[in-house]
Amino acid sequence: MLRAMAMRDCPNCGAQIPADNRFCGSCGAKIDIAAAPAGGGPAKTMFFGASQPAGKAKLTVIKGEGMDGVTYLLNATEHLAGRTEGAIMFPDDPLLSPRHANFIYRDGHLHVLDEGSVNGVFIRIKAPVILGPGALFLIGEQLLQVEPSPPDLGPQPDAEGTYFYASPKRPSKMKLIQRLRGGEIGMIYRSRSDTISIGREGNDVNFLDDPFISGRHAQIAISPEGQVTLSDLGSKNGTFVRINDEIALDHGDHVFVGQQLLRVEIT
Amino acid sequence: MITCNRCGKENQDHYKFCLGCGNELARPAPAPSPSAGVGSDGPLETARTVLPPAPLGGMPAAMAATVSAGELRNSAGAAKPKGGIPWNDSPKMPAPVPFQLPPNPLAGPGAAPRSTGAGIHPSTTPAPLRPTGGPGGEIACPNCGRSVQVGFAFCGACGTRMGAAASGPQATVGQPRTMFMAGASAAAAPAAAPRGRLILIRPDGSEGGSHPIHDGDNLIGRGQAPLFDADAYLSPRHAELSIGPNGVTIRDLQSLNGVFLKIAAEEPLESGDIFRIGQELLRFEVISPPQALEDGTEVMGTPNPGFWGRLSVIVGRDVDGSAFPLFGEAIVLGRERGDILFPEDGYVSGTHARISLHDERVFLTDLGSSNGTFLRLRGERVIPTGSYMLMGQQLFRLEFR
Repeated sequence: MLRAMAMRDCPNCGAQIPADNRFCGSCGAKIDIAAAPAGGGPAKTMFFGASQPAGKAKLTVIKGEGMDGVTYLLNATEHLAGRTEGAIMFPDDPLLSPRHANFIYRDGHLHVLDEGSVNGVFIRIKAPVILGPGALFLIGEQLLQVEPSPPDLGPQPDAEGTYFYASPKRPSKMKLIQRLRGGEIGMIYRSRSDTISIGREGNDVNFLDDPFISGRHAQIAISPEGQVTLSDLGSKNGTFVRINDEIALDHGDHVFVGQQLLRVEIT
Repeated sequence: MITCNRCGKENQDHYKFCLGCGNELARPAPAPSPSAGVGSDGPLETARTVLPPAPLGGMPAAMAATVSAGELRNSAGAAKPKGGIPWNDSPKMPAPVPFQLPPNPLAGPGAAPRSTGAGIHPSTTPAPLRPTGGPGGEIACPNCGRSVQVGFAFCGACGTRMGAAASGPQATVGQPRTMFMAGASAAAAPAAAPRGRLILIRPDGSEGGSHPIHDGDNLIGRGQAPLFDADAYLSPRHAELSIGPNGVTIRDLQSLNGVFLKIAAEEPLESGDIFRIGQELLRFEVISPPQALEDGTEVMGTPNPGFWGRLSVIVGRDVDGSAFPLFGEAIVLGRERGDILFPEDGYVSGTHARISLHDERVFLTDLGSSNGTFLRLRGERVIPTGSYMLMGQQLFRLEFR
């Protein structure tokens, strides 16, 4: 049995906290105890998890609204995750590569590595992050990327001196691209301003039918130098960015691999 | 950018008045810049001004390239309000047009009857499609003998323009019609005379000269004839018109900008097809269902909520701007009403065209727009007389007998 009964998610940052804590240990938010799931033993028992030595982490699969699934104890040095290989295996998840990710300890700290997977590893952002060109991010069910607009060179003739006819140029700083399952592009939104707000309603870009997106969910901003920053606007389900190769994980981090949302708990 | 010639402030291309001093901005004129690039030594800056499609309707922004600057300004002025629609804006042109290409949907209704003159301002306006009297009897085409509904300006079978008598009720259209006949008869007489002609349609709907089409192959391209030489959007070898036993075939010679035919009826669309409404160059593509990769992994992404296609706005060579998913049974394109809007394009009609999915195919239909919907030719096609086509920045009508 899991001890998760005694734990709950911080409604603010999503970190796992003992159910009877009045403040989130991670972000300091005040917790409404009354709303907490009833029961549960003393939170202290959590920290004496017999099976989990101090400094070691575990991964808990999150199933929908506050429900926890399997917990994986990361007691070795490497823990491969994939569809057909590894100790953390999800054979029914077609979005996972056979070998997808690896959770390893390096210098005593937990890291996740992308094992060259097709779909990559996503981590929930805790603060605004800088997006590289074409970097993918997840909001609700939407897989998106931003491309800064290239400089307009003006009309350029081809080798024969013929000019290319195109639609009228309307200045744009960047575009937001929606990637559909299978890799096709769905929508492309061109922004004329320095920011794009994303949510379910009342934003520059709205995904009315995506139940996992908050009213105001995230914002993208581009600097005069062309640097793109992604911020979460306090959304319920968070904003996830695809990592490059490897990233260190902390307690309370959320990682997406394939369709699996994993919560990192480090005791 | 348009530089105000009074105060020197730079204004965006679509501004009509200077933001700095309120002075009316000289339109860079329809004859866009590229043309400048060609013949003149205009710097790139000039060239840039070209694109702003100001006056020319959804059409070729630079249709008037052959005209002098002064004339350009005039025509731009004529196209006045809303930057728009040089031609007939009558919103309702009910469907029942019995033959393929309506004679001249572009015709400015008012303009035609008024132009009494000869020569210089030939009115392109053929008789209005609908006689005032409504569909009455039929008369025989003087050319092929088929019966033609009274009031139609052209024979639906062979495209011959009907004589004044044929269109009975429309006395007022007499003038323009005579104009045309004069030209045609002159051409028809000698055996060696051209079989047809390609008539340049100016932004204001008037005719701006013509190019003869002879039996056999006729090469259209920049450098091939005066009518084409000033259009920097026309490739040197752009298209070929061939008169054969089956009529006129038009062939795109892999030109940079292609040949666009004005669609008359519902046209099937294939993935990759490109078309124009107003000044918007759009590409349709099919969105195919996801397929797993070799190792069984599927590429992740937003679950497809039922998108079957995508419409992309082409903003440069190999550069797309916005893209809109297509879903449901039909998506309507327009300036003011519809599912995909181009509010800043004055050459797009309020509701302009429709992309629909039925019988497992995708179709493009014009919804009675003022300026028409033009589909880029794939390879070659036999076209009837009276067909409108965009080549480079210019709009042409093909006439032949």
